[in-house]
Amino acid sequence: MGALGKPIILMIAMYLFLKFVLPYIPGSAPLPSSLIFLYLLLTAAGIVIFETLSGESKEAFWGPMQRFLTGENIGGLQALRYGILVLFPLLIGWQTYGSTASSDAPPAESRTIHPAPPGEYTGLSNPVPKTPENIMQGKGFYAAFCSPCHGGNFDGKGPAARGYNPPPANFADPTTIAMLQESYLFWRIKKGGVGLPIEGAPWKSAMPRWELELPDEWIWKIIMGEYDGAHQSPRTWE
Amino acid sequence: MKRVNHVMKRVLRGAVVAIAAMTIAEASLSFAQESVAVKATIVTGGLPVDDPNAAIWSSAMPATFPMSPQVHWPNRIQEVTVQDVSVRALHDGNQVAFLLEYKDPSEDLDDAAAFEFMVGDKKAHFAHGQPMLQVEGGPVNIWFWKHKDDKAVDMTAKGFGTLKPQTHQDVKAKGAYANGGWKIVFSRTLSTDHPEEDVQIIPGEFISIAFAVWDGRKDAVGELVEKGSQKAVSSWWYFRADAPPDYSSYMYAAIAAVVALGFQFVLIRKLKKGQ
Ligand code: HEC
Repeated sequence: MGALGKPIILMIAMYLFLKFVLPYIPGSAPLPSSLIFLYLLLTAAGIVIFETLSGESKEAFWGPMQRFLTGENIGGLQALRYGILVLFPLLIGWQTYGSTASSDAPPAESRTIHPAPPGEYTGLSNPVPKTPENIMQGKGFYAAFCSPCHGGNFDGKGPAARGYNPPPANFADPTTIAMLQESYLFWRIKKGGVGLPIEGAPWKSAMPRWELELPDEWIWKIIMGEYDGAHQSPRTWE
Repeated sequence: MKRVNHVMKRVLRGAVVAIAAMTIAEASLSFAQESVAVKATIVTGGLPVDDPNAAIWSSAMPATFPMSPQVHWPNRIQEVTVQDVSVRALHDGNQVAFLLEYKDPSEDLDDAAAFEFMVGDKKAHFAHGQPMLQVEGGPVNIWFWKHKDDKAVDMTAKGFGTLKPQTHQDVKAKGAYANGGWKIVFSRTLSTDHPEEDVQIIPGEFISIAFAVWDGRKDAVGELVEKGSQKAVSSWWYFRADAPPDYSSYMYAAIAAVVALGFQFVLIRKLKKGQ
């Protein structure tokens, strides 16, 4: 590998990571292209600093670079050199266009999925005994009230789910109720979407405010039925 | 020297192929996206405010939105006729016109449809601007059309049970039924004199929009199946009237490219002199 091989591979790997890996890490989001460009620039700067630290690698790094740029004795690479000399200004122009043109994209959808609950809901424990009958009853209530949106299979794909954005939570997914305490669910079910704080974008949520329709005891039973049906267990304090 | 060149050639060729592949992958990903916004394209020479079948509608990009049976608040309904709506929009800098299209197997006098908009700076819940517990909400503006009257009613709501027609009626609507589907045009001036109750449309700005449809069919005993809160609904999406074209970023791009070119020129000259 020439001295330029590794830096180029590193840059490509960085781009692939920023573009295709980072957005899928839970809690992350796709990066705007201007930010990706900035990170790549920083990576490039880092590589240059690293490569020029010692005198020896400095020559190995800059030598071929200089020869390439000035075009002396590079034979068949001449065409590539011209290509790059044309492409570089075009790339700069394109980036400038991208960062100054008014965007066609709607405002970024940043929504905190699990914002902090109000103080009075932290640490409550389920007052309903965990008996098979209570779990069964909870599942019955779930089927009647929750399954149209959250699905008979607890997967968020109920028959009424398609029009709602954000979509109904998928309880079988390990990043929903398995990460939460029962007291958190009690808050979310009682107060619904409209009970979310501003960072939860309450104006978008179709989650009903069940305190207007269901007694607390039913809600606690539903919570038990929901965990049982989704094969999850609540997060606890230990 | 020859060896270095050879390796560099290979690496650079590889890089070009990789970048091309990434660009293609990105382009195909962005086409797979669901529509999240209705865009009103600018037209000159009159909007088709009375004509759902006007040829000019084909110059506006349709955006499709999924609909749900309304199960968010009572009275609920578990099944509705309309599964998707398609929406187009045009504006001429003074007025905006929307074309709402959906499949409905039967033409009924009680067929109805509505647009809903957030009004002003405060967020409003998509369900009639119902109160939120930790956020102060604003009102919603609803444009309601019914086949029976074939006109629009311009309404305001801020919470369930508060929906009422405004004293100022600024919206027009006209529907046409054909081939198992409705096409309905809604139109209004971009801005009105009542910014507290009417959505104000400023070209270039995104506005929250939602949709509702009632299939006016009747059941076996002659009762309406879809009525009131029992309807097909969507939650919030976005609408934007296109801003007039702005070419300044092309100029900035050209300047940046010329500066980069000059930089290259100077750099290479310096390198050549140094050797
Ligand atoms: C109208 C559709 C709808 C119905 C009916 C509904 N939900 Fe929801 N629910 C949602 C939506 C949409 C979300 C995601 C947005 C949010 O978090 O508010 C949600 C979120 C939740 C969450 C939060 C999950 C998390 O990871 O933060 C819980 C818990 C929940 N619902 C429980 C229930 C229960 C229990 C019922 C029945 C009593 C129910 N839902 C009925 C639409 C619905």
